[in-house]
Parts: sequence; structure tokens; C-alpha cells
Amino acid sequence: MSYLLRNIDNPNSIDITEYEKIGGYKNLRKALEMEPISIIEEVKKSGLRGRGGAGFPTGMKWTFANADPKFPKYLICNADEGEPGTFKDRPILERNPHLLIEGMAISGHALRAEYGYIYLRGEYPYAKRVLDGAIKQAYEKGYLGDNILGKGIRFHLSVHQGAGAYICGEETALIESLEGKRGQPRIKPPFPVNVGAFSMPTIVNNVETLSNIPYIIEIGSEAYSKIGSPDCPGPKLYSVSGHVERPGVYELPMGTTLRDIIYTHAGGIRGGRQLKAVIPGGISTPVLPPSQIDCPMDFVSMPKHGSMLGSGAVMVFDESTCLVKVCLRALRFFEHESCGKCTPCREGTGWLRLILQRIENGFGEPDDLDSLLDIAQNIAGKTFCPLGDGAASVVMNFIKHFKDEFQSHITQKGCQVRT
Amino acid sequence: MIVTINDREINVTKPSTILEVAKENGIHIPHFCHHPILEQWGGCRMCLVEVEKMPRLQTACTLYVTDGMKIRTESEAISKARRAVLEFILINHPLDCPVCDKAGECKLQDYVMKYGSPISRFKEKKLKHPEHTEDPLIVRNIERCIKCTRCVRMCSGVQGASAITMSLRGNHTLMEPFSGGIYECEYCGNCLTVCPVGAIMSKLHRYKYRQWQVTKEVKTTCSYCGVGCTMLLKVRENTIMRTEPKIGLGVNKGLLCSRGRFGYEYVGSKERLTTPLVRKNGALTPVSWQEALDMVATRLKEISKTSIAGIAGARCTNEENYVFQKFIRALGSNNIDSIARMGIAGGLKIIESLIGRGVTSNPISDISGSSVVITLGGDPTSINPVLGLQIRGAYRSGGKVIVLGDAPGLRRFTTINLPIRPYTESAVISEIVKVIGDTNPSILEKIDWFKPLEVESIEEYTDIKKETIKEVAEFIANAPSIAIVVGRDALQRAESVVAISALSKISMAKVYLMSERPNEIGLIDMGCLPDTLPGGVPLESGKDLSTIWGFEPPKSRGLTLMEIISQIDEGSIEALYVMGENPVFNLPNSKFIKNALGRLKLLIVQDIFMTETAEMADIVLPALSWAEKDGTYTNLEGRIQRLKKAVKTENCKEDWLIIKEISARLGINMPYSSASDIFEEIKRVSPLHRNLSSEAIEKGKALWPYGAKVKEPELLSIEMKPASNTTQGISLLVERPLFHSGTLSRKSPALRSIYPEAIAKVSPSTGQALGLKNGDMVKIGTKNGSLSLKVKIDKSVRSNILYISNNFEGKGAYGLFEYIIEPITKAPLIVQSELSIQKE
Repeated sequence: MSYLLRNIDNPNSIDITEYEKIGGYKNLRKALEMEPISIIEEVKKSGLRGRGGAGFPTGMKWTFANADPKFPKYLICNADEGEPGTFKDRPILERNPHLLIEGMAISGHALRAEYGYIYLRGEYPYAKRVLDGAIKQAYEKGYLGDNILGKGIRFHLSVHQGAGAYICGEETALIESLEGKRGQPRIKPPFPVNVGAFSMPTIVNNVETLSNIPYIIEIGSEAYSKIGSPDCPGPKLYSVSGHVERPGVYELPMGTTLRDIIYTHAGGIRGGRQLKAVIPGGISTPVLPPSQIDCPMDFVSMPKHGSMLGSGAVMVFDESTCLVKVCLRALRFFEHESCGKCTPCREGTGWLRLILQRIENGFGEPDDLDSLLDIAQNIAGKTFCPLGDGAASVVMNFIKHFKDEFQSHITQKGCQVRT
Repeated sequence: MIVTINDREINVTKPSTILEVAKENGIHIPHFCHHPILEQWGGCRMCLVEVEKMPRLQTACTLYVTDGMKIRTESEAISKARRAVLEFILINHPLDCPVCDKAGECKLQDYVMKYGSPISRFKEKKLKHPEHTEDPLIVRNIERCIKCTRCVRMCSGVQGASAITMSLRGNHTLMEPFSGGIYECEYCGNCLTVCPVGAIMSKLHRYKYRQWQVTKEVKTTCSYCGVGCTMLLKVRENTIMRTEPKIGLGVNKGLLCSRGRFGYEYVGSKERLTTPLVRKNGALTPVSWQEALDMVATRLKEISKTSIAGIAGARCTNEENYVFQKFIRALGSNNIDSIARMGIAGGLKIIESLIGRGVTSNPISDISGSSVVITLGGDPTSINPVLGLQIRGAYRSGGKVIVLGDAPGLRRFTTINLPIRPYTESAVISEIVKVIGDTNPSILEKIDWFKPLEVESIEEYTDIKKETIKEVAEFIANAPSIAIVVGRDALQRAESVVAISALSKISMAKVYLMSERPNEIGLIDMGCLPDTLPGGVPLESGKDLSTIWGFEPPKSRGLTLMEIISQIDEGSIEALYVMGENPVFNLPNSKFIKNALGRLKLLIVQDIFMTETAEMADIVLPALSWAEKDGTYTNLEGRIQRLKKAVKTENCKEDWLIIKEISARLGINMPYSSASDIFEEIKRVSPLHRNLSSEAIEKGKALWPYGAKVKEPELLSIEMKPASNTTQGISLLVERPLFHSGTLSRKSPALRSIYPEAIAKVSPSTGQALGLKNGDMVKIGTKNGSLSLKVKIDKSVRSNILYISNNFEGKGAYGLFEYIIEPITKAPLIVQSELSIQKE
């Protein structure tokens, strides 16, 4: 079973006629016959939850935006796939762009938004070319434009490239960046559904979320809601990387267990080694020890096992990995990507990185672990946006599960794992 | 709604954040990035508080209170969070308080002492960044910066200059000007006001003092323009260390412009006059006060009473100008006028006669709420910068800003620009009135005194398309609130003032008169006019002042400013008394003026510097500057505001005191021992000021008409004629730059450091046509003489216009012009003759 990734093995998958051959854009035709509000109802009933990481119910977000009387409304596709380990949207953007365009056109109709933007991460230049070409074809075929398929419905779409900032994946920072300003998150409330791009109601949805919309139209909300976990149904893309035999993007029903993903689909740990740790949902989600891998990978189950689904980016580390170094590498990322707006994240991420660097270099001191935890606690829950929380959680969870390894770095004056 | 803060129930009536409610109720919540006049930010995280039912700590500065909300501002968790924020800030903050100018008034220092940890856990290396000292006025220290972005929000959100930004990311974030090391900005220095730490500092007082060494803090009114910004003078010993606005205080509400903030150094200039001078054997020679004053009295007695004239000072106080006009009238004539004649004096008289007295006395703060703002006759952002900010504010909140002519400071804040041919404002405004009248004829009944200006082709005459005028007219016709901001160039001409009055009457627009000097309105209210007594009483009313003054004011009208000059030239005026003014430099055709003054039998000048006029005087008397005396100024709103003595210069005297001492020698009764004594007499003489209390003045609430009932003036009948001095080809215009005002600013080293010399500004296309590049020297000549100036190619200048300014010694723009006297306003209209432009 595959919906989001079907067609991607076709070498001409980006061509609109190939997409039409497998039934592409028929869901748009169907949706245009529907009242906007009934599409929103369908999405609500489907139980679709946002695939960007937070898992907010899409139908609810749409309802809020729909309730705001201001026009024009804007639909933004968040294609700023920047979370380390995450590459699930990439096959859609590069190999199945029409699915996204169809999803956005349907969503545009549902939300009575006449303008859509795909905010694409700057590091996906190939996807930019693919999307531009696909959008052009969609205009030519009348799937986009002032009068879509002669139905008098208007929806325009264009691609806006980011300039390489992780923070611009945060929806308000994304909007700032789209408006041509410095990419930094805005104060919420007001939320983008009321005051978003150019101060107008704006719906920001992830690539994968929007790509699920044609599917909901196709099979109906009831059938859709029966796929995978009952609380958060639907197909889910898992991007598996690290020490597995077959890294890659897997489309599986929501709620597939981590064990299944690693051992059944990704072929198990490379070279028959032992699993040491796994980050289940992108670098910001808490690391899990091997004992926790039987948990279903969905928004509801993961927190019960001490982590989060996040973007579904599974990063697998085998026994040969130095986890202090992984932690350090993660903090280097957060330090580099901290936007600088709020004090704890701006200063704290750098400080954490410096201490980790010292420990990794063999100059750790006995009180460093206490300091790391205390600094992380001083960041957690006190930052402007979740970026700082992510950095703090990495440190806290790595130390929580792998304290011995950190201790040994300090007492043994360096790493013992790799020697 | 009821909210509870620390178990205390508080009734909140308007939407407010937790921080605002706490502040109003005396509960202190520490914060860095929040500032009452700036957009919310929520970045510093210092103001975290506990809110019941919310899982995390919340920022008090961004969270609005709701009914029933329970808030705690002190707890174990909050203390830890505050300690953490301070620790985070300090890890990359240099501990250089001992050499930091901000020490003693630094928010970070104060909070660390109050909430911070006594020890540091930071074992790593701090991030270093060199101090930026390349700018002439502002030092930037990135290491001390706490990235609160107050400066950036001030610059873009309030000042509207958008000259600085935060660049880079994370802990490398730094504030810098877009222009690189040196600022290319308006130098308002408002970023200095809001910086909570020592990251942005003024070079003027760098390393010279600390906050706790301030011996006196004096609240006073700025000496530069007619806005009348309230400022605090921070004085150490006998030196002004800096001027500082205070948030919420005065018409400026805590903002200043470059002149107000950086232009105070003239007070302590070594070039100040400090001793009376008397011309002996052709040279001005220092003498004692006794000798100088005796000489003034003796010499004045030698002149017949109708041959004496006086020019009052637009930088002198109301009290001084009152005493001065009384003195001139006591000598026997009404020959008294002032530089207000260049625009406001004549213009205001017409407006008031047509649409009512006091119609231009409108609060500046109303401008930002206007739905349409029309500006003409000058750039408000450089003439009256803080008023200009209000126009930017109006644009930002959705108002339409319509600019006639050039206003470079409003370039990014203009809805419609009408690049009119110079001096044709009257035709454009008149046409707007006509268009509005065409659609709504009944409205014209209100202005039966108005006949639209007839020109053959409005498009050819003004260079503006009819459709554009129509569009503007539609904006105005549909706008609920309108402000018209008028500068000197438009006020000089009777016909444009009539047109403005008509437009104001039919659209109920508030009219604001830009005023280039701090007390132009005061000059008018104090009766420094040849036809009006104090309080706007017409001379013809025959008001009996003898019981108060001890003499009757002369009955016949006196001469206006330019008539005084003409009569001097013709020999019928033999003595001129000038108080705080520099006519040789500030009036057009300096060569003629100089020649005329050379014919005087007696020229007396009171001033603080040796001006071009003082150099010609027979007797020069050193006066005290704005910061050295008490008194009041009346700003362009008609608001009377206090001036307070902060420092002193030995051997100089208040202008009123000098006049008093001369009067004593001439038997004129001036029974005052202080400025407030004079004000008491003003209240007795002027029906306008009768009910004024000093408390009202102190609080900034003394607004025209000060509780008095005023008599409406007679309706003037004025014929509409097209301007006679429009030009063909290149027009030479006088620029009023933001950084200078002339006599005072040129003695301020700081202002000179950012605008050091006179320049000629042309547009790129005109520059090219004339073969001029940036930095070239150009000789600009007319029949009257020539000036060699450095060229600046400026994109904000229209083609075929050449801007020169009137600020620097020997480079005064007015020297190049001739003038004609406007028949009704009596203002000198500049006339450009045979322009020659040569590259040198």
C-alpha cells in the first residue's frame, strides 16, 4: 500500500501526464464540485493531524482560519524540511510534485484562499526546479489560475525559497521570512490563522499534510480514518537514517512500531551490530534506548514512551557510536541555528555546546554534568519558541539514558567507545 | 475584569498586558526588551511570571490579562528563571562596568545586583567583538549588547529611519547600521534613549562623567525649532553633559531629533561673547557693562523717536520679547518685527482672519491619527523633525500622506507625491478646492471669500496632472480627519495661504504651521509686530496700556521687517536694535542688507555669538543662552512651555535684564526682577494670557487660547494671483537640513561632525546634465554673488532643482537671492536671477 509515494519509481513521475494517468487531479475535479465547508468537514472527520511535527489536527486549524472573516487568506506549504534526520518531504517535492499541487489546490478551494506559497528550504534547489516546472504545467492544464477547470475558482501558487535557516520551519518565522524580513518567530497569539502573512489569515501546513488531502477526498474521511492508529490515522512517511541496512523513506500506516520500522522495513542494524540508541522523530525529539523500541510511532503513543513522533525521522545509532559526540553534534546544530531572539536559547545553546565540546575533548570536569542539566533546565520551557526546548531536551535525554557514557568521558579523559 | 497578582485583586478596565497592569499597580517585574513606546518583542525572557493553569512561565510583557487570571510575580521558579536569564546574558558580556559609561544607570547592572547570582559557572571563553568607534557621534559596543533589539524597533517602528538592523544569528547576533561602520541615518539618537546597557553610547560625553556625578537635572524646552520638545539637561558642575528626553514627557513624548540631542554644545562654546563691545576707532573693543549701557542710552537719545526700529528674537523667551516690544514702543514707534515675517507672521494673520483665531493651535499628537495628511512648503521631517515623525506615524497606521513639492524624509511614507513646480502650491490647492466644490457645491457657501486661482493651464503651470489632483481631492473629500502641515515657503504667499484656509474650512482640516525657530508664535503673541499689541490686540483698538506701562503705545502702525530694511536704506530709519537675530545672514540679499545696515547711525546687537550682524554693530551686548535663563517659549501648537536655568556664563545677562538696565537709563519703567515678574505683567496686559496659571505651564497644559475668550479678527479680502517668481530651467531652492539650523548649530561640534560644510544638492540627472559628480566643487552664481560649494548627488532631489542651504559662515544661500516684498504678508519672496553654474 502506498499513496504518497506511489509513482515515484516512474522515471517521468514529475510530468503531469504521468500523474494524470494514475488518476491525478481527479480529486481536484471532485473537490471543486464540493462546497468549501464540506471539504473542511471531511478533513476534520478524517482525523488528519499535521505531519510537520506538532501533530495539530488539520481540520481544526482549517476551521479556525475559515472562521476569520478577513480576506484574502493565504495558504502556505511548509517545505522548509530542516530538522536533522528528516527527508520525508523530499521524495514528494522531487518525485511527486503534482500530488502536493493537487493537495494545495483542493485546500485553497476549501479555505477560500486564492494565493498559495510553497516555502521551500534553500538547500533543495532541485526541488525548486521540479516544483516550478510542475506548477507551470498545472497552470497550462488549468489546475491553477484565475478560473480553475472553468469553475470560476481562483488559486495561484508559487515557490519561495528559504535562505538556509532552520528556524524558518517554525510557522511564524516562516511567515516573517516570506514577507522579506529576518526569520524570527512572532509572538503568539495572534496565531497565523488570524494574523499571518501580510497580517491576513494564513494556513501553514506541511508538505505531507497537504499531500494527504487528495487521498481523503478520494477515499472519504471514513475510510481514511481507519488507516493506522485510530487517534491519528493515515499513511505516514518515516525517514530512516543511520546505522541500518536500508536507510530511506518508508510510507507505512501511522502507528507502525519503531521495531518494525528498523528491523522489518529498514533491514535491521548494519553488519549485525547491536542497537544502542534511536532518535525517533528528528533531532529535537528525545532519544530512546533499545528497551523502548516496541512503541507505536504515532502522536499519541510516543509521549507515553518518553519521546515524540516529531517528523517521523528515525535516526538509528549502533553500538559503535559515541553518544557524547552525537549530543555535541546536535548542540552544534542548535547553536548555529538559534535565531538569537530570546536569551536562553541564544546564549544557552552555545554554552551547552562548549561544555560538551570540552567533555568530548577529554577536559570534562566532575561538575560539568550537573551544569549541563541545570543549564538545560534553565532553557527548557523558558524560550520563545520550541527550538530552545529541543536543544535542552537533547542534552537532558542523552544524559538521562546514557549518563555512564558521559561520566566515563569525564573520568577517562575522553571517549572510550571508539577506541 | 478582575485579575489577581500576588493575591491582590486588581480591576482592569482596558486591554493590558500583565506587565502593564503590574506597573500601574506598583508591582515591579524586571524586563529588558519591553519598552512602552516600542512594539512588543518578548525576547529577553526576564519578565517571566507564573500564571495559574498555564504549564510554563509566561512573559508578562506579551500576555494580555483575562478575567479571573491569577498571576504570581515572585516565586522560587521565577527567581531561578531570572537568575538564569542574567547568567545567560553575562556569559558573553564583558565585566567592564568600571570603564563603561552606562555604569550607574545600566539595567543589566541593576538587575544582576538585585536578582543575579553572586558567582559565575562559566568556564569557557567569551565571544569577543571589537568596539565600533568609527562613527563621529555614536559608539557601538557589541559585547555589551544584550540583543534586546530595542534600538532596532525604535529606529524602524518609531523613528521610521530603518537605518539599523540585527544581523547574523544566535550568539553572534549583532546590531549594526545597514551602511556599515558609520551611520547613514537621521542621528536622532533615539536608539541611545532606549538602550538598556552600554552598547550604544554618545561620543559627546564619553568617559567624561557617570550618572551619579550629575549635580543637576533640569527639565526644559529645546532651543532648536518650534515643536518645543521637552528635555532634561544633565548638568555636572557648570557643564551640560547631555540632553535627554524622558519617555512620555512633553509633546515629543520621549523622542528627540539630531539637533535637540547633539546640538547643545554651543552653550559652552569658547566662541561665546562674554563681554560688551563698543566700536572705537572702527574696531569693536571690550568695555564694561556700565560703559556699554551708558553708551546705548546716550546714543539712543540722539536719534529721533520715529527713526528707531527693533528686530526681536525668535530664540528669545516670551518674557524677553515682551520687554523688547515694550521698550521699542516706549522709545516712540511701532517699528518692531522679527524673523517670523519670513512666513508665520503674515501667513497666520491671513488664516486667522479667514477661518478664525487660533485655528492653527492644534496638538501635534493628533497628526498621527489623521486619515489624510497634506504637507507643503518644506520637509517637516527636517524642519520640525518630531512633528515629521507624527506624519510617518499617520502613514504607518493607514493614513494617506500627500506631499506637495519635496520632502525627502517622507519618501517612504508618501501616498501621493505632487512634484510641483516651485511656488505653485496655491494653484494646486486652489484646484483641489475647486474639484471638491464641483462635486459638492453647497460646501462652497462656507468660503464665500474664496475665488479659485485662475491660470491658463493648471497642468502646464504646476506640472501636475489634473487626474492626480482629482485623486487627491477625492481622498480629502472622503477623509474623516485631515491635517495640513504648512512650511515657510507656502506661508509667505498670501494666495497660497488663502487657498489653504479654504481647503481647511471645507474639509475641516487642522492646520499646522511649521516653525523653524523655537518661539515664533511667542513673538506674535507678545506683540513683536508693527500692527499688534501683546495678546493679539490690534493697534487700532486703541487699548489703553498707560496704567500698566506708564505710557501710551504709539498710535500709528510701524514698519515690517523688510520695510525696516528698506527705510534704513532710504535713510529714514537711523537706529536699529537687534535682539538675538542675525538679519545679515538670515534674510535674502545679504549684500543689500549689509549695505543698508552700513548706513545706520546706530546698530545695537544683543547676541550670544559674534554674528555677521554683530560684526557691523556699534555696540554688542553679550546675552545668555537658552540653557542659562528662565522663561517660556510658545511652540507651534500655541503651547507655552518653561525654560529653566541650568548653567551660567559669567558676565552675560538675560536679554530682558539688558533692556531693563538700558530702560532705567532712559526713564522707562521696567519693574521686574525675574522672568516671572514679567509674566505677571504679560497677564495684566494681554487678554489672551489673563487666566494662565504657572501650574498649567509647568505641566505642559498651557494651550492656546489659555482659557481666554478671543475676539475674531476682521475678514481680509485677498485677491488670488499666480506667484510671480516661478522659474524656468534650474530652480535654486533653499534647503533646511535636518542637522542644522544656522547660527546655533554651526557652533555645535557634534552637528558639524555629521554635516561639516555647505553643499549643493542635485539630482543624478541634473548632475549629469551639468557635468557634476559627487564631491566636485561647483560655483553657483547670480547677480548678487557666488558660492563655491561641494556637490552632492542626491537621489531624493528632483531634476532641475538645485538645493543649497543657509547654515555655514560665508556660505549662506540667501546671499545669492534678491527678494520682492509680498504685498500682503510682507514676507520677502526670494527671486532667482541669472543663475550660472560652473564646475570648478
